[in-house]
Parts: sequence; C-alpha cells; structure tokens
Amino acid sequence: MSPRVRLAALLAAPVVWLVVAYLGALATLFVSAFWTVNGFTGATVKRFSLGNFETILREDVYRTVTLRSVGVAAAVTVLCAVLALPMAYFMAKVASARARPWLVIAVLTPLWASYLVKAYAWRVLLANGGPLDTLLGGPGRGPGYGLPAVVLVLAYLWLPYMILPVYAGLERLPDSVLEASADLGARGWRTFRAITVPLIVPSIVAGAVFTFSLSLGDYITVQIVGGKTQLIGNLVYANVGAANNLPFAAALATIPVLIMVIYLVAVRRSGALEEL
Amino acid sequence: MGTHPAIRLSGLRKSFGAVEAVAGVDLDVADGEFFAMLGPSGSGKTTVLRLIAGFEQPTGGTVALGGRNVTGLAPHRRDVNTVFQDYALFPHLTVLENIEYGLKVRKVPKRDRRRRAEEALEQVRLPGFGGRRPGAMSGGQRQRVALARALVNRPRVLLLDEPLGALDRRLREQMQVELKALHREVGITFVFVTHDQDEALTMSDRVAVFDAGRIVQCGSPQQVYEHPATAFVAGFVGSSNVVTGPAARALFGRSGAFSVRPEKLILKEAGAPGTVAEVIYAGATTRYVVDLDAGARVVVARQNSGGGDAVHKGERTGVAWPDEHVIEIPSGEDENDALATDDRAVDPERPDADRVR
Repeated sequence: MSPRVRLAALLAAPVVWLVVAYLGALATLFVSAFWTVNGFTGATVKRFSLGNFETILREDVYRTVTLRSVGVAAAVTVLCAVLALPMAYFMAKVASARARPWLVIAVLTPLWASYLVKAYAWRVLLANGGPLDTLLGGPGRGPGYGLPAVVLVLAYLWLPYMILPVYAGLERLPDSVLEASADLGARGWRTFRAITVPLIVPSIVAGAVFTFSLSLGDYITVQIVGGKTQLIGNLVYANVGAANNLPFAAALATIPVLIMVIYLVAVRRSGALEEL
Repeated sequence: MGTHPAIRLSGLRKSFGAVEAVAGVDLDVADGEFFAMLGPSGSGKTTVLRLIAGFEQPTGGTVALGGRNVTGLAPHRRDVNTVFQDYALFPHLTVLENIEYGLKVRKVPKRDRRRRAEEALEQVRLPGFGGRRPGAMSGGQRQRVALARALVNRPRVLLLDEPLGALDRRLREQMQVELKALHREVGITFVFVTHDQDEALTMSDRVAVFDAGRIVQCGSPQQVYEHPATAFVAGFVGSSNVVTGPAARALFGRSGAFSVRPEKLILKEAGAPGTVAEVIYAGATTRYVVDLDAGARVVVARQNSGGGDAVHKGERTGVAWPDEHVIEIPSGEDENDALATDDRAVDPERPDADRVR
C-alpha cells in the first residue's frame, strides 16, 4: 500500500465521524431552524422561512430568557473562577509533590457520579426545611429553589472543569517568578494580584469555555432546583416535547451556539485556546 | 556602611527531609566584596544563596545582613535582591514595568521610578528597550534586564544564582567583564553562585569552595588555586595532579599528599622517567597523560606555541617541575589514585578551619 492509501485508511473513520455525526448534526440543526410546523396538522413544513427567528426577535420572553441564561452562565463562571483559584493554587504551589496527584483525583472523582444524582442531592439539600435551611437557622433561611439555587448547583457541577486548567496553568508558572516578586519587596497578596492572576488569565478563560457553555445549555438542573425559572435549554426542551415544534426548538438552540462562537472568537487572541 | 560585615552566616544548617543540604556554614562577606560560591551541583551553594535571600528558612544557625539578624524574615523584608538563574522576568509586563516593579511595590513616586528605571536600563546598556516584552528578547538581553530589575532597588547585597549559566561562551565572557565593571560602578556587595571555576577565579575578590554542604576553603582566587586546602579543592578548582603514597616519596622525597598543576609540569628528558599514555589536543594547549615509572599517572599541559618537540603516544619521556609549584596538601587524606580529578567528599570530621576573617 502506498503511504497515501494507508493514510486515507487511517483517517477514514474519524473523517466519516466528523462529517456525518458532528457536522451533519450541526447542519441539520441549522437547516431545520428555517423550517416551520403546520399549526393544524403538526407536520413539519420543509420550506425556507425566517418565521422562527422573527418570533424569537419579536417576543420579549425570548430576549428575557436569553439574557437570563447568559447571566446565569456568567455568574456560574465567575463563581467557579473565584472558588477554583485558591484551590488550584493550593494544589500546585502549596501541597507537597506527593499529595498533588491525590488532590487531582479528589477533584475528578465527583465527575464519575451521575449528573442527575448530584442534582437531586442538591434538591434535598435545598428543600424547604432541608439541611441547608437547618444550617442557616430554620425553614426558609436557605436560598430555596429558584435562580440562586440554579447558579449554586451549576457552579458545583462544573467546578472541576475550571480547577483543572487553572491548576495546569499554575503548575507551569515557575516558582522563581513568584520568588522574584517577593524578592522585589511584594507581600504574598500583592504577588498574587500583580503576578499570579494576570499570568493565569488564559487558563481561567480556558476553564470558562467549559463552565460557560455547559451552563448555557443546561436545563435539567434548572428543572430540578430552579423552581419556576426557565433558561434557553428549558424552552428548547419544551418545544421538542410538549409543543412538538422541532424547527422552533432548533432556532432557539442556535442562540447558545451563536453566543459561544462569539465568546470563542473574542478569547481567541488571549491565547486561552492553546490552554485547552 | 559601618563595621558590620554585609553578610554574616553563623552555624547555618538546612535539611530537606533526611538530606542535609547545608551542614554548618560560617562565613563573613565584607561590604563591597565580589564574592563567589563555587562547588559542584548538590554541594549546598545555591541553598546558602536562597537562605540569604529568605526563600528558604534554615534548620539551624543565623543569617545577619549588615549586623541585623534577619533569620526568619520573609524575602520582602530583606535588603537584598536576586538575579535568578532563569531570570524570572514577569512575562506579562514590559521591560520597563519589570524594572519598576520593586520601586512600585515600595511606593516610589511614578516620575522617580520611571527615571531610575531608565537609568538602570542604560547602566546595563539596553537603552530604548523599555517598551519590549521579555519574550521578545535574547537570553543575554533578558539577563541584563534581570540585573537592572535587581540593581534599581539599590540593595545592600546583590545575589546572583548561576547568572551566566544559560549564555553561550562568547556572551558569557563578555558578561563576566561587564559584571565586574558594574560591580565597581555600584559599589555594593555581589555574591554569586557558580559551578564554573574559571568564572569564580576571574571575577571574584574571594571564593568559597563548597563540598557536601560545607565550605572547604575560602580565600582569594590565587590562594585557592595555588594553595588548595584539600585534595577536593585541588581537583575541583582547575585540574590538578595529586600524588600520594610511595610515588610521592619517590618523586618528592617526602611522604604526604602533593598537588601539581598540569601547566606547571614540563616534558623534559632529564625529568622523572615515564611513558606517554595519551595525547589530547585541546586547541590552545595539548595535554599529555604520562605514566611515571615511580607509580603515578600525571597530566602535563603544554601550550601549542610551536616550541618543544612533538611527543607521541607510547613514547618514553621525562617529566620535570619547579619545586615551588609542588604544593603539600595539609590534611592527611589517603589518596590512592594519583590523577585527582576526583570529587570524593572530604573528611566530615574536619572542622571548618578555613573560615577567613
């Protein structure tokens, strides 16, 4: 076999996968977003129409839900970053070399547990009169179900995706750079603020790609602990299921895709994509 | 600057787990001295530097700077600055911002620090480079920025950790000259760590030779080179022929351990007879390994200046030496092999008798 044939044989499976499964699904989503549903028969009308997008732009509810979803994703990302920084710093710079792999395992372990189980565990924690309420001094003292609970639980679920890139970034940061800052008269906090954080911004942005996109598309956690809260994912789910309007669901689903594309293009220059 | 030494280390010890990296070091470094700490890797010299800077805390003993005991103080509270082996420049800041960092932390007004940073850049001969990022500079340039960043704070002591280790040979020789000039110009104490004996000998006023966590000899480059205190020093600082036992009695008429530098030996028919075992051409010099009939193997270095007959491998020859270049090594160590480029640890029972000043 010539090298060219061998190369083709080697690449055939991934190429088919990429084109059919990955790009194909995405293309179908995008194309079907321009179809409509016959309101009387419920049958899909495969004819090009901007109707779905006009509805999304016209109706206030979709704008509100979109902004709320972006807000939740941003809040989750910030919360994850704030929590991940000290944790990753401890893992990379304070803990002994022997403890480090164990800490990484500890961070990864929750990812092995089912997403659903973890979300329901939080439902129990957050219940009216539940453990969190008791801890805070009585029924109704905790956040209960609703938007804050959604942010809290999503931040819990996606935290490892932030810790790992930040940890990797900190591990690559030479100790001598931090020592140089101390040598030049800076206290610990000053070094952290002026040297450590700016140097690991690309790692934080890389982690944010995960926390932001995972939050933006989530609907299960919202259903379990969100109370009446709705995010884009819930609208997509409702249109797939109850409303049986697949084209409109597809049109709604393009919103998070678009937001992520904008985000990725924006952070491309920061070097964050090399950190993934 | 008063009567106190710039640095005084007393009974300094540092252990990492079961490993004793620094095993009792006493040392005074005078104000304005250019002081070298020389030793093989793992000899404790870098740890001593880090103990002075405050990056490590000693297991025992004290560090005093200018008469003030700073043991236990954090690095930011010590009047020293460090040039790191990897330069440790801040990659997200420009060259000027790097140099200003220490002044900014100490709240020097903006205009003052800009002026001082630009002066420092000129001092290291990089005027106009202030706007660049460290990543866009060569190793030699980064080295200079690291120097400027440390010197701009006008510390009492400048610590340099293998400062020239990462540079190529030509640049290294050039920086050696410049560091000397810079030292004269700023007049503060320079302490630098190196494993390169040439660097230590050419640059410093005094050298401390480290082995196994201790200072085995401390003195001027000349003292250390011409009068090595131990076989280790003789072997590590430059190469040396150490002759002991019956061979020493036969060649020098006395028993004991003796050191002769290869360049002090002369190939001469009338000398002690022997056979040439190896001829090694090394550019400026040629090194002849000679097995003497008296039972010792010695290395003779000869300048390739055209003088003297060619001597070939396997030929009979003689080796002679001026008596004043035969140095008796004081300690009674039993050296069996006569060719001492050895790195064996010195007797741990030997007290640090080499403390100078």
